[in-house]
Amino acid sequence: MENPLHHFELHPLIPIHLFGFDLSINQAVVMMWVVVAAVSLFFWTAARTRQLVPTKIQSLAEISVEFLRGLVIENMGERGMRFFPFIVTLFFFILFANLLGLIPGTYTVTSQIMVTALFAIMVYVMSLIVGFTVHGLHFFSILVPPGTPGWLLPLMLPIEVISQLARPVTLSVRLFANMTAGHTVLYVLFGLMLAGGVLIGWLPFVFTVVVYILEVIVAFIQAFIFTILATVYLGDAIKLH
Amino acid sequence: MPQFDTTFLASLLFWSVISFGILLFLLKRFALPGILEMLEAREKKIKDSLDQAERLKQEAQQLLAQYEAKLTSIHDESRTILDAARKQAQLQLEENERRMEQETKRMLAEARSEIQREQQRVLREVHQTAVDLTLLAAEKVLSRSLTDADHRRLIEEAVQEIAQQAKR
Repeated sequence: MENPLHHFELHPLIPIHLFGFDLSINQAVVMMWVVVAAVSLFFWTAARTRQLVPTKIQSLAEISVEFLRGLVIENMGERGMRFFPFIVTLFFFILFANLLGLIPGTYTVTSQIMVTALFAIMVYVMSLIVGFTVHGLHFFSILVPPGTPGWLLPLMLPIEVISQLARPVTLSVRLFANMTAGHTVLYVLFGLMLAGGVLIGWLPFVFTVVVYILEVIVAFIQAFIFTILATVYLGDAIKLH
Repeated sequence: MPQFDTTFLASLLFWSVISFGILLFLLKRFALPGILEMLEAREKKIKDSLDQAERLKQEAQQLLAQYEAKLTSIHDESRTILDAARKQAQLQLEENERRMEQETKRMLAEARSEIQREQQRVLREVHQTAVDLTLLAAEKVLSRSLTDADHRRLIEEAVQEIAQQAKR
């Protein structure tokens, strides 16, 4: 059996070298385009019929947008609606990357820690920028939870600094690890099925199906978690406690 | 782990930013405004419909109240009319009875006086006839001298005549 992590490897399809950078098109990049196309197609189909009594796709799109709007308003307030397009894009990009990656033969973009880290850092840097623009230097008080007694400050400050800095790390690792682990398990189980033959192979096959269904659910959950944490972090920066 | 191989770092970051940027632009520019607008339109529509339903309901209740009031007034009116009619009928009945009684009394009195008059007339007539007959009988007795048998026969004749007269 070959290395179960082998399928995460990237191979340049179209080598591009610009300004000394290797910007080659690989499977992950192609999948990003597919994701962008799929999300666009989804919204195009949904928006095409724009009726007061919605069609199924339209209603699906509207329900998710409505849901995300609720999320944004709840965590970031009305002012957070400026970030609404960003949040929607984040959610649908991750969700479609997760889901499309589950189709055999495709590549899971979100199993690349560089991609998830990019999104996480994007969210974190955005929250810092928002925090400092809205509150100025007062934004540093985010490191002091309200109601902290003065003598606890030497203890609280490092803890809060660490918890703040851990945010982008956990955000990126959570998504990356979930996707990688899920696909690895699927890969191993499927390999077992092929190796097991007809007599014993059905057992790993059943597990493959079960885990696959689980992975579909995980795809939604991880997209949701990433998005909700993004709104919470940005909301913290806007509201400051 | 192949994911920690940094060969494609630049490529992945670059294309991620590009793809994400394109998607963000597309959604922000084309998809979201329409959907948000639609959501708001639907919200408004539902709210309007609910408002209208509420308004219609109130109107209906008002109408119902009006109809009920009208119905009550009609009921009252019909009752007064009925009462009046009943009273009228009662009055009429009493009037009729009273008149009938008077009429009866009057007719009775008339009949009574008639009977009395007739009685007196008959009495007078009987008296007259009796006198006439007596005179007749006396005449017959006096005008002839007769035998005892003749007397007897004559008297019987006279009596019979009287009886016949009386019978008549």
